[in-house]
Amino acid sequence: MRIPFVQLPFIFLLLLASQVRAVDFEKQIQPVLEAKCLSCHNPNLRKGKLSLSTLSEIRDADEGLLISGNHRDSLLHQVTIPLEPGEKPEMPKKGEALTEAEAKLLAEWIDEGANWPEGIVLREASKADASWWAFQALRKFDAKDSIDGFIDEKLSEKGLSRNDPASARELIRRVTYDLHGLPPSPEEAKRFEESTQSDFEAAYTALINRLLASPRYGERWGRHWLDVVRFGESKGYERNVILDNIWPFRDYVIRSLNEDKPFDQLITEHLAGDVVGKGNPDIEVGTVFLVAGPYDDVGNKDAKAAAIIRANTLDGMITATGSAFMGLTVNCAKCHDHKFDPIEQKDYYRLRAAFEGVKQGERVMAKAEDRKAHAELIKPLNDEKGKLNKAIKELENAAAKRVAESPSILPEVTRSKMDRTGTTDEFPSVLAKAIRLTPYSNDSNPNANSVRIDEFEVWTDETESRNVALSSNGGTAEAQGRKVEDSAENAANAYGPVLVNDGEFGKRWISSGNPTLTIHFSKPEKINRVVYSSDRPAELPTLPKMVFVGEYKLEVSTDSENWKIVSESWNRPPLNKLFLRSRQLRFGASKEEKSKLASLKKELSTVEAKLGAIKPLPTVWAGNFVQPEKPTHLAVGGDPNKPADEVVPASFAKLPKEVPAYALTSKTPEAERRHELAKWICHPDNPLTLRVLANRVWHYHFGTGIVNTPSDFGYMGGKPSHPELLDFLASRLKKHSWKWKPLHREILLSKTYRQSADYRKEAASIDADSRLLWRVPPRRLSAEEIRDSILTIAGKLNLNAAGGPGFRLYKFTQDNVCTYFPLDHHGPETWRRAVYHQNPRAATMDLLTDFDCPDPALATPRRATTTTPLQALTLMNHSFTTEMAGFFAARLEQDAEDIAGRVNSAFQLAFGRPPTEHEREAAVKVVRDFGLPALTRTLLNSNELIYVN
Amino acid sequence: MTDLLQNTRRHFLSTMPGAMAGLGLTDLLSRELFSAPAGGPVAKAKRVLQIFCPGAASHIDLWEHKPELEKMSGNPLPGEEDFSSFQGKNGNLMKSPWPFKEAGQSGKMFSTNLPNMARHVDDMAFCHSMWSKSNTHGPGCIFMNTGFADEGFPSAGAWTSYALGSLTDDLPAYVAITDLRGEPPNGKANWSNGFLPAQHQAILMNAQKPIRNLKLPRNISPKEEGASRDLLRLLNEKHLEKNPGLSELQARMHAYELAAKMQLSAPEVSDLSSESSSTRKAYGMDDPNHLKAGYANNCVLARRLLERGVRFVNLYCASRASGVDGLLNWDAHKTLKGDYERHCPIFDQPTAALLSDLKQRGMLEDTLVLWSTEFGRMPTHQAGTVGRDHNPDAFTCWMMGAGVKGGVSYGATDPFGRRAEVNKTSVWDFYATVLHLLGIDHQKLSAYHNGIDRRLTDVHGHVINQILV
Repeated sequence: MRIPFVQLPFIFLLLLASQVRAVDFEKQIQPVLEAKCLSCHNPNLRKGKLSLSTLSEIRDADEGLLISGNHRDSLLHQVTIPLEPGEKPEMPKKGEALTEAEAKLLAEWIDEGANWPEGIVLREASKADASWWAFQALRKFDAKDSIDGFIDEKLSEKGLSRNDPASARELIRRVTYDLHGLPPSPEEAKRFEESTQSDFEAAYTALINRLLASPRYGERWGRHWLDVVRFGESKGYERNVILDNIWPFRDYVIRSLNEDKPFDQLITEHLAGDVVGKGNPDIEVGTVFLVAGPYDDVGNKDAKAAAIIRANTLDGMITATGSAFMGLTVNCAKCHDHKFDPIEQKDYYRLRAAFEGVKQGERVMAKAEDRKAHAELIKPLNDEKGKLNKAIKELENAAAKRVAESPSILPEVTRSKMDRTGTTDEFPSVLAKAIRLTPYSNDSNPNANSVRIDEFEVWTDETESRNVALSSNGGTAEAQGRKVEDSAENAANAYGPVLVNDGEFGKRWISSGNPTLTIHFSKPEKINRVVYSSDRPAELPTLPKMVFVGEYKLEVSTDSENWKIVSESWNRPPLNKLFLRSRQLRFGASKEEKSKLASLKKELSTVEAKLGAIKPLPTVWAGNFVQPEKPTHLAVGGDPNKPADEVVPASFAKLPKEVPAYALTSKTPEAERRHELAKWICHPDNPLTLRVLANRVWHYHFGTGIVNTPSDFGYMGGKPSHPELLDFLASRLKKHSWKWKPLHREILLSKTYRQSADYRKEAASIDADSRLLWRVPPRRLSAEEIRDSILTIAGKLNLNAAGGPGFRLYKFTQDNVCTYFPLDHHGPETWRRAVYHQNPRAATMDLLTDFDCPDPALATPRRATTTTPLQALTLMNHSFTTEMAGFFAARLEQDAEDIAGRVNSAFQLAFGRPPTEHEREAAVKVVRDFGLPALTRTLLNSNELIYVN
Repeated sequence: MTDLLQNTRRHFLSTMPGAMAGLGLTDLLSRELFSAPAGGPVAKAKRVLQIFCPGAASHIDLWEHKPELEKMSGNPLPGEEDFSSFQGKNGNLMKSPWPFKEAGQSGKMFSTNLPNMARHVDDMAFCHSMWSKSNTHGPGCIFMNTGFADEGFPSAGAWTSYALGSLTDDLPAYVAITDLRGEPPNGKANWSNGFLPAQHQAILMNAQKPIRNLKLPRNISPKEEGASRDLLRLLNEKHLEKNPGLSELQARMHAYELAAKMQLSAPEVSDLSSESSSTRKAYGMDDPNHLKAGYANNCVLARRLLERGVRFVNLYCASRASGVDGLLNWDAHKTLKGDYERHCPIFDQPTAALLSDLKQRGMLEDTLVLWSTEFGRMPTHQAGTVGRDHNPDAFTCWMMGAGVKGGVSYGATDPFGRRAEVNKTSVWDFYATVLHLLGIDHQKLSAYHNGIDRRLTDVHGHVINQILV
């Protein structure tokens, strides 16, 4: 820049002054610009086509923006000060204007020469920075620290104190539901109560140990984890196809929890099970986590749209990883730097680079020895198949050659070609009560026989010829059509044979299985002509949608038992070379060749049957891994069709500080990328992961976490109610090598957990939600617990049916897209724990849905507890309740002889207590008047059944 | 600010004695919470009817006349001579198989394939410049219904229920009426409560199928039911005495009473036999085309639900993508003419009759009617077919009724209908306007979920003032 001579002394003076009191760009200017300008003028948004991110960008945009040494003429100064005193300056358009002091500093900085230290790139400031509480190292603790100590400290600050200990009855019901999601049996409760009388401590410790050692524990806590990782068993989106081979992950999670697998190991298996457990299906199955979310598999020929779908699929993995393990809403940084947390947009794409090679899909999951055994079984059969195919081909070639040499072997062509827009078959007049069309093939492939027909007319031999096939003339059509079950309307009319004789051309019958079409007339008729088609209006005769009859025979009958051929297709021209060859075989082969061919084909089908009988190696929807061909790029505004800088798989730029950073390259094998990410997330010094895990455990024990947004530890999430306690629990988890069971034990043995749930008005007036835990907050059971409890009380819960393919409370139908219909009746095969339900997306299942079992479209770190009239309708009226009420009643009849005894037993089973006198009287009256099921149905609907203190 | 509102609302609900979360909230309460304290929108609409034609109903064959497309039919689309869309390659421009002609006082050109709907043109406000984020039916449908192309978000009806609650205790606040032919693409995600409390999901019903679990089990007499309910009340009261300070317990008792009321009133709403023969005829309730009759019955059901205080009704005309394109819904990939000559007669007369009926009863004064679909169709024909492929870049929606100007058209596509061009309108703008008419500031209606205060309008949306009275 040319500096006018007259200004030189002035600048010299300024430079002198600046040595005394220069504006510090990094401390005084950068924060102002980042807070007030960068949210619009960043490289991503470029509002007004301007980014203030680097000096060169500013210079490139407009020389007049920033004139070193001259704030008065610099646009940047002009637009950020009021034109008239008191007015709002032109910029920033959104948010607060620069303060007077800030504007003055900016002017001084410009006058001093607009010194922008090299390499500094401005970014929009997030609300929280790296000093945010969640990213700091865990506090240190000593031996005298305890859960109760931290709780009591907060309570006493508010002048509160803990409740008295809970009774033995209250405690066993609470802890059994807590660890198993099931009620204790009356006998268990009684035994526990008795054993506490001699030594409460020992009895309670024994109870906890027993509950933690039971496989029921994994079923309950596994369900929690499945919520967190958005595990669902259909693909979601438009087609929503059911996934029948993803359940092994559910069993793996349950198994892992029961084994008390360390969570750093579990997370590593989720991200890279195929790496750390190569060849071991029990561990490899962990990678289902990556692909357990919704997946749009419709397929898109529009390349831009396909790129967006792929970006969304990867976004699901990134979101799940950030929220489940780190409590971070990384997904908010897809389009721009995170507005609230110190996560750069680049960080998002660093994660994307780690997952770039992950594809949705199933993969074979078998041990090496099983794979080998399978290959050995298959090989000889495949060899045999090859030999047979070769022999068949040789014979066929010989026959074809013979016909080619003497074409007269084939029937003479006397009629016209098959025509989708209308084909006529004329034959000598014949009396018939029915006519039957048997397609040997369709008109596209001589070896396929699925056909479509929009109309099939049968005309009488008389001057005023009538179409006697027409339904309005009494004709009926009979055939197997494609089945659609998702609505009564579609079942009958979408593709059924009724469409061939309705007098309309638009819709067609689509054959399914045996393609034979039979038309019955209302009475015997003299007929001599049929006309049929797949596309009568001749809209699109070439489309596969219109596929028509190829080779066929046409027969008539008067009794529907004896059939007489009236026409065949052999005297029509072959449709193409393939059809010609097929006819050559049919007519050219000698008798011996035909019988030899038949026996070869029989042998072939035997071999194929044997192959089919070999159990295929199991597959699991656990994803496939492919080395990405191209590097990952940051996407401007989150749009994958606007790639910007290359990004490598790496740790986040700013956090967490305690964990060593890593950076890989775009050539790093994709398996290593995921493994490195897992190591970073599970680093022993990563305070975030430990805090998030510890908080989840606390959350499920007390209904609310110390942080009440368990998957969001950022600025928008809740602040910890007990920050020291959270760190204490995280430290304990670390000490226990990331195992949950020892942590459970410490929490469950605390006095805090063991206090009663009793309500105290004065305490509630200070802490209504009992967040500070002056009592254990009562809670409503989850949907799964309610169903499991009802089954338990009715004596019908099948605990042995643990694991394996899930059961369904819906009818599944598919016609391109899938539909799920809730069942009106739940058979014995469904009397399993609800965790074994095959949960599809975007479906509703009565009780489960009504009581807030979430749609696994998104992760659910915290279940809702809603109250709706629908719950009442379902629980009162669905046959599940009435049936279980019946079993419950039958059970009571076994328990006691008299009504009073049965009523007593009913209350014990449902509530774990005897009835009061008043309750007994009322219950006995209902039983006398309407029978036991009237009582049991009522108990299954009661509040006490589904609330735990 | 929003967080504060949420907390206040939650706190209010949990502490107000006898207040049942989301059940029978008064308008007053909600207005205070979600609209601006002063100068905020004034509610013009009390309830909403949203008619949805799934499968991407073609804007250029139903609503938006394109003279240039007629003129250039058979020629390549200028600038996009060879382009691929959802199903692949496209051919030349293809004019609509049906001529358009002037309709109403406004003289708007209207497709002759919808002769009955043309009667209402002077009451309709068209948005001809809509665009979608997705070119796939499922994500497109939920984008249109929830403002997000991913699953898991609350629909407009759920948000409305959340904001305004119910107008009646006897019926649900939000009902989705599905077509005889089944559910729309992405099914239940279209009327989901998403992360909002479960009471805001739509209750599913239609003229052919009542609300699930509404009926008393067959083997239980009303007398037994009464005795059971009495005993239940007694048990719950005793339990409540032992557990004061847990408002959920009272709420649940109240929910059982509401369920009982619903059991009485819902069958009355669904009983269409009391409708007059002139109504039956006007709607086509007994039409020999049973698909049309089925939809006509659903139209009548929709009116009855709205009359009796349901806040938000989704009414579907057609269903999902079948194994054959365009068979069960408006997805005319291959044979536009044949497909729409099946679908239009099903839609036209019953919908027009419903609009006339609402008008006649004075209900259009405070009922907002919306018509929507997930996206539009290409002005070209799909290669090798006489149908049109998906077009996410242009489609039409319209509104009518409470607070909406009649006989206006807002925005336009380019001369061929390929892209929204004039006053491009997003789904978020559409719903910003809908919420505005309901007296809600769309930027204030939010709920925290997984790190973000979520809105129906995401982080976008401008009220379309040009179509408001």
